[in-house]
Amino acid sequence: MRGIRDALQEFTAQGIRPVAISVDPPDLSENLRKKQGYAFTFLCDPKAEVIRRYDLLHKAGGPGESDIARPAEFLVDRSGTVRWENFTEDIRVRPRAEQMLAAARSISW
Amino acid sequence: MPDANQKRTNSALWLGLLLTILAILSNSLYFLRFPASLLPWLNVALPVIGLLFLLLGLSRAFRQSPIYRGKIWGSLVTVFAALLCAGSLWLFVHARDVPRSAGAPQVGQRIPDFTLPDTTGKPVSLSQLFSAPPGIAPPRAVLLVFYRGYW
Repeated sequence: MRGIRDALQEFTAQGIRPVAISVDPPDLSENLRKKQGYAFTFLCDPKAEVIRRYDLLHKAGGPGESDIARPAEFLVDRSGTVRWENFTEDIRVRPRAEQMLAAARSISW
Repeated sequence: MPDANQKRTNSALWLGLLLTILAILSNSLYFLRFPASLLPWLNVALPVIGLLFLLLGLSRAFRQSPIYRGKIWGSLVTVFAALLCAGSLWLFVHARDVPRSAGAPQVGQRIPDFTLPDTTGKPVSLSQLFSAPPGIAPPRAVLLVFYRGYW
């Protein structure tokens, strides 16, 4: 997400709106946004309802065996169709902003 | 019988210890601009190579003890390094323990609409994410980034 923050202008120039989603409640996400200078939308799914519906739940993956989202990225077009996606196999490895921008460029919208 | 002070430095032991310590430190590279996809393998390769050097050093110290130092402290360092190595391997296995998410939306599929609160508590739906104030071009795509959380 630091990569997205640093390349936010390029995402916007390509017509891509980054949106971050986690189980964190609004106040916690707002703290993160402020602290890290993330100028994009954060959505909050504290009960992991949407995360569960998308089969992205990492059971007991968080502190105190709490359920959290596994890292995943989806590029969704205006019709709601997934055009690109990424599921990491290692929580330490996330797609870089350049990779996501390149993926977006290769799509005919 | 050569004097103990004339024994050669057992550099394999030092190199081994250095590599296993570097392996633990290499985890902090995730916060730098390092190709992250290589790091998990680096975190396994470094301690394993380090441990091999330590074993080489130990075998020198015990089999060629008149020449090489390191019987006692070499053993201690190897035990310490083996613990670091186990830590690196545990981290590797733990970091890759992510669900397969076979039921997640696939490329070409419609993603089910959702509504979730933003950081001000205002509910926002997927379709609303595509809207923009007048005069500003609405986005042609939304990049949904699911993340583990700040806690």
